[in-house]
Amino acid sequence: MTLVMVVALTATNPYYLGIVLLSVLLVAAMAPKTARGVTSFRALLIFGAIMFVISFTIGVINGNYGDHRLFTIPGADLPSWLGGLRLGGPVSAEGVVATLTRGMAILSVLLAFGVFNSAVSPHRVLRSTPAALFQAGLVVTIGLTLLPSSIEDVRRIREMRALRGGRGGLRDLPALVVPAVVGGLERSMRLAEAMEARGYGAAPAGPRLPRLGAMAAAPLLLLAASGWFYYESLRLPSAMLAAAGLAGFGWWIVSAARTHHTTTLTSEPFPMHDRLLAWASLVLALATVGATAWGWDGLKYNPFADLPWPRFELAASLIPLAAAWPALRFAFSPAPATAPVLLAPGLSEQ
Amino acid sequence: MIARLDRVTYRYPGADTDTLRNVVAEVEDGDFTLVAGPSAGGKSTLLRLFNGLIPQFHGGTLSGSLDVAGRDPSRTPAREMARIAGMVFQEPEAQSVAETVEDEIAFGMEQQGVARGAMRRNVDGLLAALGIEHLRLRTLTTLSGGERQRVAIAAVLALEPRLLLLDEPTSQLDPTGAESVLATIQRLHGKGDLAILVAEHRLERLLPVVTSVLGVEGGIVNAYAPTEAAARLAAVPPVCEIGRRLKLNPVPLTVEALKAALAGRPLSLALEPASASPGDELLRVDGVSVSYGDLPALRDASFSIREGEIIALVGPNGSGKTTLFRAIAGLISHASGAVRMRGAAAPAKVSERTTFAGLVPQDPAIALYHESVAEELGETLRNRRSKQTLADSLVAWNLSSLAVRHPGDLSVGQQQRVAIGAMLAHEPRVWMLDEPTRGADIRAKEWLAHRLKDHAAAGGAAIVATHDSESAARYATRVIALDQGTIRFDLPARQAFGSGAPMPTQAARILPGAILPEEVTL
Repeated sequence: MTLVMVVALTATNPYYLGIVLLSVLLVAAMAPKTARGVTSFRALLIFGAIMFVISFTIGVINGNYGDHRLFTIPGADLPSWLGGLRLGGPVSAEGVVATLTRGMAILSVLLAFGVFNSAVSPHRVLRSTPAALFQAGLVVTIGLTLLPSSIEDVRRIREMRALRGGRGGLRDLPALVVPAVVGGLERSMRLAEAMEARGYGAAPAGPRLPRLGAMAAAPLLLLAASGWFYYESLRLPSAMLAAAGLAGFGWWIVSAARTHHTTTLTSEPFPMHDRLLAWASLVLALATVGATAWGWDGLKYNPFADLPWPRFELAASLIPLAAAWPALRFAFSPAPATAPVLLAPGLSEQ
Repeated sequence: MIARLDRVTYRYPGADTDTLRNVVAEVEDGDFTLVAGPSAGGKSTLLRLFNGLIPQFHGGTLSGSLDVAGRDPSRTPAREMARIAGMVFQEPEAQSVAETVEDEIAFGMEQQGVARGAMRRNVDGLLAALGIEHLRLRTLTTLSGGERQRVAIAAVLALEPRLLLLDEPTSQLDPTGAESVLATIQRLHGKGDLAILVAEHRLERLLPVVTSVLGVEGGIVNAYAPTEAAARLAAVPPVCEIGRRLKLNPVPLTVEALKAALAGRPLSLALEPASASPGDELLRVDGVSVSYGDLPALRDASFSIREGEIIALVGPNGSGKTTLFRAIAGLISHASGAVRMRGAAAPAKVSERTTFAGLVPQDPAIALYHESVAEELGETLRNRRSKQTLADSLVAWNLSSLAVRHPGDLSVGQQQRVAIGAMLAHEPRVWMLDEPTRGADIRAKEWLAHRLKDHAAAGGAAIVATHDSESAARYATRVIALDQGTIRFDLPARQAFGSGAPMPTQAARILPGAILPEEVTL
């Protein structure tokens, strides 16, 4: 997933984005299906499609610069103090292409998230989260649990509206969403209560705990500084600071985990292949970011430069294609006992 | 002595009144205590005092002194209290944190840092003790409600607490699941000196086996011996009700005890004159079948319902009750067979079908969202272009006094009434209610029985899916039993609930011919 995000956010070349999108769909199709996962994946697919259409429409109506004018939508030029927002006006081919590629990027990220969510249950994410991050982990888990059950709630509430003679339509939207959200929050509270009753999260406050919190700030500062150097075009110090920041953050997670002593009944199965996959995707993602930062533009495509035909290079296309790796795994081991599991927040199997 | 509450008074944050007042209670090692009383009377609140969830999780103001195994639960960290007092909650879904049974049971021990070998032995022992070894590697979401609750019990027992707290553990289960959970709890009692506190509405099952009772009503807690509770509690099982009316002392707790106490004195039957015979046919279901994929959910169901009839629809979970309702309401487009309303083919649209035959699905309260009770009912009336006025509707559903209240501020029982009222405000001729009294107390059940009878007397009809034969005997005129999608029987209520029948009530087991407690006299 890290790789998909990175590629989707750095690449603007439609070929490569297309490859990422197809890779994600392939993985989704090959992954073992669970009822809960399918529901939430379908919901994300619909959501993604709607987002795509909306962002495309807005992109077409607003903000078109370019020489290849397709047609002109009659509309008023809004005063410039509205921040350059335009309604109508000329629609250029460049604008259309740019919005399309951006839409594909958003869709890829959304779908990758959907695949991840359906392959790994939030409960397992929580269990493999370092115990010191449990408060944050709890919030995330509850959020992830909320999604499928809220979708089910919306379905039931919609049915009840129909049974009350509701006409449906947009006016009914708050009546669907408000109870679903309230119900989801109540469910989360009950889960949180049950977890507290079972002794989760009430760690004995060791003397190191407050200091640890403060120490988390240091790696973050380093990362911020690296970003600043980057914009000042000081590439080498920026990269060094970034590396130092990441290392510091890793150290912080490890030492934070030690303050909260827990054991596990079984060690999470994390087969060689999955381990390889996780590391490979991390390395590839970092390499892509690094290369882009150093000025490599193999994944870039700028339609505004007189609408050229996008370049396609086999070597560069291998990067987005790597996102389809998990699909191979599903193809060759038809019934894996467990899907690849999360190692640390933000790092995963793709 | 494991726990003692002394003059404890508690108020939830933002509340106007105390939820518990001046509570004095003691729990001994090895006690098996039933916590009984109406909904919203303070049962859950009382249980949460023992493990510190109140006030530590919920906040609020607490006074008085608490002592559980030598600690003050209101100050002891949750991690420590979990080793002393384990708690099982109402909903199986809202308390599991792991994916598989074995991980769920181990979770608490993992949090306490128990070594892996000890943890494994402990999990094995618990699976055996609760008779759920066959479930070890199953995913929790594939288990039935009863199985999940037994896993939840095993999970809290894993920390070897001295006190087991169960907050209405069977209220969301069907009778089979409830029985398996209650039998498990009963087996735990007497092994070692674990003290058990269980809040329950199923008194007929527990009253004969517990060692003591805490009656909780309106924030006041009274400690009783079981027979004393049978004489003093507001809501008691039918057998105790009969015992009380026959002035038996002590009040018997089981049918056998009652028969023994009578010592051969003959009982007589006091039947009310039968109500008017049913009128014209309102609804007919003709050979309706539904399958989900390859799975048949309903097979060739046929019956009709006439004016004045109230059908209790019974059967285990998954037997097709909900599917039948959905097919009648037009929510299942691929149902085969025919539904006829007042002799004509039923319209295709859900909104038109439910104008005549209104459906209240399970947990209707989740759909409430207006600012006031009046608006909830008003919206349905507007949608349906009903001639009924809002004021009449509020009176009919006994909601006039709550009209301006926000539904979110009401008790669960009141919310349920508002939700049912909102679904049926337009007074359809046929009502279909899917488990309307699940988890409800006796007062809510009595209110519903009256409402149903009034509706039938006014020429309406109703179908009520229920697991509760004792309260169904109060209103039903007919019983239809579903099993694996097929209608097993369709009998008059007096036969279905009578002695030697498929599902006899307690009264029927005492006196053949009777089905309600008041029909049994000396």
